[in-house]
Amino acid sequence: MNKKLLEASKVDRYVPAVLVAGALISALGFVLAFTVAPLVHGAAVTPELIAGQLVANQLLFSQKIFYFHVPVAMSSFIALIFTAFYGVRYLMTRDEGYDVRAKTATEVAVVFMIATMVTGVPWTRFEWGVWWSWEPRLTTYLILILMAIAYFILRTAFSDSEKRCSYASVFGIIMFIDAPICFMITRLIPSSTHPVVFRTDSGLPPDMLVPFLICMLGIVLIAFALYRVRLRQSLLSLRIERLKEELDELE
Amino acid sequence: MNEILNSVYGAVLPSAPYVIAAYALIWVALFVFVAIVIRGFKKSESDIALLEERVEELRTQKEAAEKER
Repeated sequence: MNKKLLEASKVDRYVPAVLVAGALISALGFVLAFTVAPLVHGAAVTPELIAGQLVANQLLFSQKIFYFHVPVAMSSFIALIFTAFYGVRYLMTRDEGYDVRAKTATEVAVVFMIATMVTGVPWTRFEWGVWWSWEPRLTTYLILILMAIAYFILRTAFSDSEKRCSYASVFGIIMFIDAPICFMITRLIPSSTHPVVFRTDSGLPPDMLVPFLICMLGIVLIAFALYRVRLRQSLLSLRIERLKEELDELE
Repeated sequence: MNEILNSVYGAVLPSAPYVIAAYALIWVALFVFVAIVIRGFKKSESDIALLEERVEELRTQKEAAEKER
């Protein structure tokens, strides 16, 4: 095994700063989302002058969930890219260091998947009046979550580390295939009630797009910092296990 | 309340608890993960302490064996 893959990298030095920057940037993004970004207009109502402004539509405060729901969902997809990448690297090199990286990326993906669900479900409850709907985006995302859970169950099924790493790497790559499907489903099935956020004609005006992008940057930085911290801890555990085995052999 | 205002505010405010809950729950998920990582570090610390203890035992045994020789 490549020893360098087991040691803390130079990047780890900057992790606390990245985490703080992520927290501050996302906090700024959320403040802007509630103060600068306008409310989205819903159904028409009889026009009324409120605070000097003529309001002719319902104002959808619930849409504010978008500013943190989408960034956490995107972060979970990004984490899955890492899972697949390190899965491929493991299969190419058979170096357990890559498997630890793939596993850590999947852990971070699961955390952000849970965050995506817990932000999406209250919105669904308020806007659609139900806690769950078998809508295409929700369904494909649920499949992704179940696959991520299955990834960890699969890992526990093998005591032989090489088998465990190989099967997990292959499963991680398969799991990643669902990510673009989930991302593209709102385009593939136009009847989907989920809006298409990322598109070439960008439907967002600048005063909504800028807070959104700031939130996105902050959340991605937090995800990266959490990944590095967890990776460092996982590598430390692996090194300890190796030392224990070596000690047992020496005795 | 004015019927129109009731309609306008009715669309704005009732969603607030859901928006706030969603925002709070993100941080709950992240803090749980951080707690798991901290627990992992603590376990690693105690494992290192055990390893140090074991190495010390082996060293003592080796020294005793050398003295006997």
